Amino acid sequence: MSAQVLVAPPDLPVTTAGDREIVEAVLAPLRTTPPLWWVLFAICAAGTVLWLGAVVYTVAAGIGVWGNNIPVAWAFAIVNFVWWIGIGHAGTFISAFLMLLNQPWRAAVSRIAESMTLIAVAIAGTFPLLHLGRPWFFYWLTPYPSTMGVWPNFKSALAWDVAAVVSYFIVSTTFFYLGAIPDLALARDGLQGRRRRQVYGVFALGWNGAGTQWRRRRAALKIIAGIVAALVVSVHSIVSLDFSIAQLAGWHSTNLPPYFVIGAVYSGVAMVLVLVVPIRRLYRLESIITLDHLDKLARLLLTIGLLLTYCYVVEFVIASRSSDPLERTTYLQHWPFGYFGWLFWLMLVFNVGTPQLLWSARLRRTPAVLAGAGVAILAGMWLERFIIVVASLAQGALPSSWFAYRPTWVDWSILAGSLSLFGLVFLLFLRFVPAAATDELRRDRFERAARVQR
Amino acid sequence: MSVPFDEMRNRLGADTTGSTIDPIARRDFMKLLGASLALAGVDGCTRMPASNIHPYVHQPELTPGIAQHYATVMAVDGYATGLLVESHEGRPTKIEGNPDHPASLGATGVLEQASVLQLYDPDRARRIRHDAASASWDALAALLGPESLASRAGARGGGLALLLAPTSSPLEEEVLHRVLERYPDAHLCFYAPLMPALPAHVTQWSVGDADVILAVDTDFLASGPFHLRHARAFAGRRRPESAPGGMNRLYVVESSISVTGMGADHRHAVRPRDISSLLERLLAAIAGESRPSSPDDQWLNVVAADLRAHAGRSLVIAGPLTPPAVQTLALAINQALGNIDRTIWFTRSPLAGAGGSNPSLSSIADRMRGGDITTLICAGVNASYASEGRMELGAAIRRVPEAVYLGLYEDETARDCHWIVPAAHYLESWGDARAYDGTLSVVQPLIEPLAGGRTLVELLSLLLGDAHVSPYDLLRDTWRARGDLARRHAFEDDWRDVLRRGLLPGSGFPRESAPPSPSPIAAAMPATAPFDVVFRPHPRVRDGAFANSGWLQELPDPVTTVTWENVAQVSAATAQRLALTTGDLVDIRVEGRSVQLPAVVVGGHADDTATITFGHGRTGAESVARGAGANVYPLWPGDRFSRDVTVSRASGSRQLAITQPHRSLDGSAAVQSIDAGAHAVARPDTARPLPLYRAPSTGDTPSRLQWAMTIDLSACTGCGACMVACQAENNVPVVGRDQVLLGREMHWLRIDWYAQPDAATTPQPMLCQHCEAAPCEYVCPVEATVHSQDGLNEMVYNRCVGTRFCSNNCPYKVRRFNWFDFNAGGGSERLVRNPDVTVRERGVMEKCTFCVQRIREAEIHARAEGQALRGSEVQTACEQACPTQAILFGSLDERDSAMMHARVSERAYAVLDELGTVPRVRYLARVRNPNPALESRA
Repeated sequence: MSAQVLVAPPDLPVTTAGDREIVEAVLAPLRTTPPLWWVLFAICAAGTVLWLGAVVYTVAAGIGVWGNNIPVAWAFAIVNFVWWIGIGHAGTFISAFLMLLNQPWRAAVSRIAESMTLIAVAIAGTFPLLHLGRPWFFYWLTPYPSTMGVWPNFKSALAWDVAAVVSYFIVSTTFFYLGAIPDLALARDGLQGRRRRQVYGVFALGWNGAGTQWRRRRAALKIIAGIVAALVVSVHSIVSLDFSIAQLAGWHSTNLPPYFVIGAVYSGVAMVLVLVVPIRRLYRLESIITLDHLDKLARLLLTIGLLLTYCYVVEFVIASRSSDPLERTTYLQHWPFGYFGWLFWLMLVFNVGTPQLLWSARLRRTPAVLAGAGVAILAGMWLERFIIVVASLAQGALPSSWFAYRPTWVDWSILAGSLSLFGLVFLLFLRFVPAAATDELRRDRFERAARVQR
Repeated sequence: MSVPFDEMRNRLGADTTGSTIDPIARRDFMKLLGASLALAGVDGCTRMPASNIHPYVHQPELTPGIAQHYATVMAVDGYATGLLVESHEGRPTKIEGNPDHPASLGATGVLEQASVLQLYDPDRARRIRHDAASASWDALAALLGPESLASRAGARGGGLALLLAPTSSPLEEEVLHRVLERYPDAHLCFYAPLMPALPAHVTQWSVGDADVILAVDTDFLASGPFHLRHARAFAGRRRPESAPGGMNRLYVVESSISVTGMGADHRHAVRPRDISSLLERLLAAIAGESRPSSPDDQWLNVVAADLRAHAGRSLVIAGPLTPPAVQTLALAINQALGNIDRTIWFTRSPLAGAGGSNPSLSSIADRMRGGDITTLICAGVNASYASEGRMELGAAIRRVPEAVYLGLYEDETARDCHWIVPAAHYLESWGDARAYDGTLSVVQPLIEPLAGGRTLVELLSLLLGDAHVSPYDLLRDTWRARGDLARRHAFEDDWRDVLRRGLLPGSGFPRESAPPSPSPIAAAMPATAPFDVVFRPHPRVRDGAFANSGWLQELPDPVTTVTWENVAQVSAATAQRLALTTGDLVDIRVEGRSVQLPAVVVGGHADDTATITFGHGRTGAESVARGAGANVYPLWPGDRFSRDVTVSRASGSRQLAITQPHRSLDGSAAVQSIDAGAHAVARPDTARPLPLYRAPSTGDTPSRLQWAMTIDLSACTGCGACMVACQAENNVPVVGRDQVLLGREMHWLRIDWYAQPDAATTPQPMLCQHCEAAPCEYVCPVEATVHSQDGLNEMVYNRCVGTRFCSNNCPYKVRRFNWFDFNAGGGSERLVRNPDVTVRERGVMEKCTFCVQRIREAEIHARAEGQALRGSEVQTACEQACPTQAILFGSLDERDSAMMHARVSERAYAVLDELGTVPRVRYLARVRNPNPALESRA
């Protein structure tokens, strides 16, 4: 790999702050807490209490407190699961893929994206557990040496799902932690107070900035990035297999794996925008996460949005040419004109319509528009999963069994509560973990300076 | 309650004196230990009758774990249906039909199936009450004893009224006779809301001999006496392969929609007031004097021609609730066609007091209001609830100083009476009853009265001064005295034979060929009225007597699939005129009284007519029935037509617990039907889609019997008996209206209704198809649903964690999930559970097992006998209950079984065959037999 390739092209976004400013800006949130943080924390804490209440109620009383029925045996919980897992794709995508592709601008947002990934995947993991009729036997889905001599059914995608999500979580955590070590050391060295320094000291694992440490860490990061990049593709492919191995029209499709991965990254990048825009205001990180960075993310969003639109077109063209009448009616009648037809069209507006705004350079550089587009796309992606899961089930093969679905307050509470829980943990992350990779930002600055000198 | 050890030893008669070493030998100790454990468990819930009862199958020793069957009969409106009741260690759990009984032929209806739940109903009246206080039987005996009664009601009983449900019991008739002998002026009134008159003769039909049937406003295939028999005979003529004399053809003229009407080859919806004029014109057309005056006439002329072409082999059936004019006309048409004594004949009515001067209920009510009645005995009929509103019978009963009510529940009538006596359920009683044709049976108890219930005979005996009569002895005395039995053998032998068979052979009444003189046709029908209301019994809870049964409340109405309440059915055109849709409330006002009901728009209903049903809106002390639906009895004008009817849209609407919102096939090939052109059978559907998947390889020759089922859609009427039978057999929980609204009913077997544009509505019993390539199995992550070696798709409840993926992947949507702990708690109704079937806990999936418990029991039995099991020896619960034998079960290797004959029929097909699931359940296409002369018009 030649040195030439490592140097970023001149048009890439660049952090405008200097070395000292970068470190100070990243450590500042660890030192002081803005009042708005406390307001947001209180809101999220209240929502988390709601989530906890709804979860305890569900486990105590049974899944019946949700709106699920026969035929719609899967609904909000699975929609939420797929949605959160999807959100959990962007962090790793931004970090690992862009790292492998040598896009140093990612450093400004990679930490936020990675932590978002971890929290989102952890929250996603709660849904399949809660969703079980008898959640206390969840471990039967794992291949453990049972005295009964029974194993999970390896033909079922649900058993693969457990493995895929757990491994994705473990590798993502490792990737995140490895990337954060130098900044944790920075916090250890730069913060006041004995206890703080002790805690950060433990997590910094004795990092002293020696050349060998940098070299080994970088090698490890590259290797894990390679693994996690593969996992980004595999985990949502496997999640999609939860649907495509079924015979149900609307689920039974070989398109689903790429389509799910693209959708996942789409919602993840949207979530990054939704988070980054207020954070740079809240912590005055405008000099680190610049408008150029936002513009880059917006272009990424537009590209993925177009890819997803292509997936939709392919899906419907294939369905319309299907020899299975059930498949034709599901895609061409039940989804767009069935029980949830209006949600289908709303989903198209959000997912296909919203990114078209981003053709405009002016809008791409307007943070509020980007945050709004992110929210719309997140909603659209949630609706997309709702259509796939619920609308396909509600109108299945036998017309006698068609039955609509209506969520209960518990369903809504768990969805709203999971967002609150996400917000709560994310706020704590902002409070205690350096929000940007200072080493990479500084390295990027150094390499640019070197290029300019040459 | 546990029993002290010493007492237990005495009870068992353990002889321990001979042992010298140990006062209690080891074996005896184990025996006592086991017995005390067993008795500690069952003591509170099982009571064995003190008197001898005799099992249907000779089986003198009772083996724990092996069920026994006893023959008895259940009477509805007095008419008996023969039953075999399954009993587990003295606890009746399941009702089957008695194959030898003419009203059953081995089948059962929904009411018979559900009656066993009623036995254990925790809401049943539990004590004798005088107003609010508990009272004793002796206190009641003093009240009704001859001295007290004579002083209160007069020596000739002029102040005594007996208000009873119709009965065919010779025993009750005998006791009533004695009561009337002593109190000749007493007022005896038999009343049942669905039985307007007690004619001396009843009409018998031979449905199987009729080539052409015209049913006028009657649901003769699914309700009324002998409906099981009629359905069997009818279905026998709907299978083109085997129907003797070819297929029959059914024309139906009705206002509201019935199960019978939905299965008609041609159905004609007319307003109720137009039915008699339609029949008049039909009679004229048959007689050859065609008077074309209405657009109906082309239809009528075709029907008349068809009937005439089958003179002597046709049948016109008028419903029991039609006006007398319609019944007379139907009889006249039958006479004109020469059907009398061929497809239709008459017998004496089996009911007590039939043909006599049965006073009307309103005359009794007037007497009560006038203070003439000082003592009322009301038994077996909830008269305060189930009577015309304008009669205000409840208020009249409250005027009676000493009103005694004998009933199963503390219902509306119980509230109006000062004295309440819990009635014994028929499964707790000794008695007798006659079937519709007069066949005599013994009502044999399976259990001592759970709540100290008394029979009518015991209550009436109080009037004769006999406070402690034994119904058993009295019954045997009357049978002995009548001398029916002792013709051939000793009385005791014959008696046992009757108990074992469940009927006295040859006791049916002889034909009486002379038709009863037709009463003059009363043209009392006002020609026009803006709106008509048709009052019908609810197809599930009937007149309200069965309203407290969760099984029946949750059994969907066949026309609307509404559960847990009653509705007003209107046609689409009427709904449009009133600007309402399904669920909107309508205000129905008849002669100043009104009720609000949710409307349901149904296709095929007569215009400007609303059908409303009895049986709901109960306000008695029955927790299941209370709050379900609205009471329409207050509106009921009896058997008159009311001119003063208004139906209007009320404000508001109501969400209905409908189990099947979508009734059209929408291009699905789930139900296939063919026309019986010249009685030839065509392929059901030559344009069937090609399979999307390759058939799985069959593998090795199976080593065990391979179970399979066929369901003949041509024979199925959709009556719903299979659903209740399945529920009773398999401990399927009742979930309640709220859960049905959420789409969570638990029925393992449901009936799908498909309204086909070109034909009637077709019922399709849908249950687990036991696919050979089951989509549910491979998606389960914990292998909780697996395939057995004998071809069953098995559900392992213990292993299920409840991912519900199996249900999502089941194209038939027959899997049911325990969303809550539906089986937790509960009162005495838990005793109805089948001990052979696991009770499922919260969070696990369940579904039809092909009655695996019956299969395994048969296998064990065959192994014990050292014989090979034949597939046709096992009957599933649904198959056993089915009146039309539409459901057949057996094994694939028994080539000459009825099931296999059906399976290889050209009509056989698999639902959703193209998905490659290879179901073990095959359906036989429905065969329609339309009249070509009417087809062209459609």
